[in-house]
Amino acid sequence: MSKPKETKLVIAIPSKGRLKEACGEWFAARGVVLEQEAGSRGYRARFAGMPQIEVMLLSASEIANALLAGDVHLGITGEDLLREAAPELEGRLYLAAPMGFGFADVVVAVSRAWIDVSTMADLDDVCAAFAATHKKRLRVATKYAELTRSCFARNGIADYRIVPSAGATEGAPAAGTAEVIVDITTTGATLRDNGLKILDDGVILKSQATLAASLTAEWDADARAACEQLFAALNADYPALSAQL
Amino acid sequence: MSSFPYYGPADIDALNAQAVTLLKLFKAKGYDRQEPSVLQPAALFLDRSGEEIRRRTFTLTDPSGSDLALRPDLTIPIAKRVVESEPHFPARISYNGPVFRHESKGGKPVQFFQAGVELFGEPDKAKGDAEILTLAVEALRAAGCTDFTIRMGDLGLFGALVDALQLPAHWRSRLKRHFWRAGYVETLLDRIGHGDETSRLPQDEKDIAALLEAQGDAPLAGRTRAEVITRARAEAAEVLKLDGNVAGAITRLLDISAPIAQALADIRALLKTAGIHLDAGLAAVEARVALLQKLGVDRIEFNAHFGRSMEYYTGFVFELRSKDGVELAGGGRYDNLLELLGAFAPVTAVGCAIHTERLLATVKGAA
Repeated sequence: MSKPKETKLVIAIPSKGRLKEACGEWFAARGVVLEQEAGSRGYRARFAGMPQIEVMLLSASEIANALLAGDVHLGITGEDLLREAAPELEGRLYLAAPMGFGFADVVVAVSRAWIDVSTMADLDDVCAAFAATHKKRLRVATKYAELTRSCFARNGIADYRIVPSAGATEGAPAAGTAEVIVDITTTGATLRDNGLKILDDGVILKSQATLAASLTAEWDADARAACEQLFAALNADYPALSAQL
Repeated sequence: MSSFPYYGPADIDALNAQAVTLLKLFKAKGYDRQEPSVLQPAALFLDRSGEEIRRRTFTLTDPSGSDLALRPDLTIPIAKRVVESEPHFPARISYNGPVFRHESKGGKPVQFFQAGVELFGEPDKAKGDAEILTLAVEALRAAGCTDFTIRMGDLGLFGALVDALQLPAHWRSRLKRHFWRAGYVETLLDRIGHGDETSRLPQDEKDIAALLEAQGDAPLAGRTRAEVITRARAEAAEVLKLDGNVAGAITRLLDISAPIAQALADIRALLKTAGIHLDAGLAAVEARVALLQKLGVDRIEFNAHFGRSMEYYTGFVFELRSKDGVELAGGGRYDNLLELLGAFAPVTAVGCAIHTERLLATVKGAA
């Protein structure tokens, strides 16, 4: 990517919604002020008094990809999106610190009418019985294909298939496009409204906004110095992160 | 090795020459070659295979929107053909061609050649197992590889063991289903042994029906009302009790991985502890050992936990390894696959696939 000459470090933060607001508040509470860059249509910002750091405003899911591609050094986005984009973090991403906002759980949910199913072991039985009876695999609708795969593998479930879902995943069982869903929830109200329940051991990830570092970005001496300066201004210390870079 | 292999003139000639040798041997034993297309309808692999195969299958969409897949093996397309063409059984089929598998860890080739044989509809399972095992050994030798070891297991043995336990039917099928997963079966056994599975469902059928009605308009999501109620009743009725010593003995039995003589002695001792008789199953293992010894293969390891990551195996499983531990060939029995692919009656199936590029490299390395 092209960057202004003085830029030594790029950090990506969410460009819209609740995560954007919470991020802004988090920095403001530590005395670091975000200033929109003129003419950038809201895609770029700077921290006041830190010209060597560029702030990119990206959608929460793009931030995970930008970190993996090494386009940005640091990023703040949901842990769910980071882990979904990079099932194997080693050598690619370092999750430096949870931010204390943007809480949400990635969960396995089934219809409440499945009164005989309350655990992943039950779901495993039902998947196998479904394959034997209906001669096809039970479908799991989700936008978290990787998280679903690793969770189902941990629980020994093999007889299923993932149906990618772009939105309104909670409606899939009623619509008949999938039997089970893996989705994100904060209060569980949307799931309940759709006649669904979370399995007792069906919480795949307790996610929150997370500060992550790209291990594939170019971390030269200038970038590391700018990073240290940012952390000093935030009065934050991530020694484990510094050791990684 | 590159993810995208490139075969120079010498490489491809050597690989072809080896394939000719293998296919000639297969032909002499009654196995005629068939060649399914490289591109297959994606549903063939995605609907009937577990997620493990699906994860490793390359899929693409053609311009009209149909989902296609590059074949991750030749067994499934060949088995599908057998289901559709209903040949005279027993049917013997051989193949040789490239297969395609996604590797999550970089550096492994995404395409490689496999040569193999499949035997369908042989009613005498011991005879079928012996035929495929013999052919696998002969194939490696025909290609010039004489220094190899064999590792084998038997999913049927575990099934017989589970059947001998006093457990509810769905717990038995749960244990069998997970045999191939190291660690998980032990967790299940531990849970049964400690009896921590307590049902939260009402015992009475009327109460179960009422509970279902109380869920209002929650969707049945692909299952019938009867399916839900039947399973709920089975769950409510189940009392899980398995002597902790028996559960422990099975766990230790699953742990066995040793030269065959030692393994068999250990298995017998543990079965005695648990008070379980598996004479037929052990006799089948011994028959295979005797066959291998007759063939001059004496480095045999038995691994009680040896399933295969491809989930369709149901019985005898084996792999042949070079002296450096490289897996050259593998196979086994998969009696359920044809029914999953639409066969109306069970069709026995046993087969073997050879990783021909590794075999060639091993033979070259030894020369």
